[in-house]
Amino acid sequence: MRELSLHILDIIENSRRAGSDLIKIKISEMPDEDLLKIVIEDNGSGISEEKLDKIDDPFITSRTTREVGLGISLFKSAAESCNGNLNIKSKIGEGTKVEANFDYNHIDRAPLGDITTTISNFIAANGEKVDIIYQHQYQDKSFNFDTREIKAELDDVSIQSRQIIGWLREYIGENLAEIRGGEAF
Amino acid sequence: MTVKELVDLFNLEIVAGPNLEKEIDGVYIGDLLSNVMARAEKDNLWLTVQGHQNVVAVALLVELSAVILVEDFEYEENSVQRACQKGVNLLKTKKKSYDLACKFCESEI
Repeated sequence: MRELSLHILDIIENSRRAGSDLIKIKISEMPDEDLLKIVIEDNGSGISEEKLDKIDDPFITSRTTREVGLGISLFKSAAESCNGNLNIKSKIGEGTKVEANFDYNHIDRAPLGDITTTISNFIAANGEKVDIIYQHQYQDKSFNFDTREIKAELDDVSIQSRQIIGWLREYIGENLAEIRGGEAF
Repeated sequence: MTVKELVDLFNLEIVAGPNLEKEIDGVYIGDLLSNVMARAEKDNLWLTVQGHQNVVAVALLVELSAVILVEDFEYEENSVQRACQKGVNLLKTKKKSYDLACKFCESEI
């Protein structure tokens, strides 16, 4: 995919379909160490050991509508083509953790992309049912965001309402720009 | 034109040919798999430098007539096995995408 944020969207959609109500996304940008790390952890139904062995096989899919599933396969090859790797740990009934590492400065590394839109759109569609913890680190600066804390402040307004989503977009965008030294995505 | 006729006409190498009577309709060139999934059309030939098994999955999904690996790149072993199982044609050439595409164009493919 042209942007890593699309891979992140694909993974959190998997988490949602697996019945998660809490998804933790952690992005660490460490240009000085030539490392970009993306970790996504959920509390969904988990993946059996047998399926985990074949998770990067595009011909194995949990879909019933077609015989090809490429989400994890594409994310893994995106990481591997940047001298990185992708690891998945999962326990049935507990959840799944996906960790992808990339060489930050690798010429083939796709840009992170519009992570603000990815996260705010996901909350706009699923915020009532699924909570998101989002941590973004850039060198020694970081930004933390937790929809549970926001909901606690909202009283009876839905987190999926238009004005809240509009505010969230701005809030995430401004904070990311700040930790990344004013650089927008 | 069928894949078999194309192979003979342009002197392509068959790496996996489980379905050589398939008819060809158009050509797509690209190496970003998600983009190929979105933009290539049924029965297209697909010119790429990628040889891993995800390529076979995309070709199957989009129902492409054949994959042509250019610039003398090699398919991975499991790609060839999968292609034979799933009926996906894998071809290769030493030519660059542009040069091969120009020849296709001259033949009105």
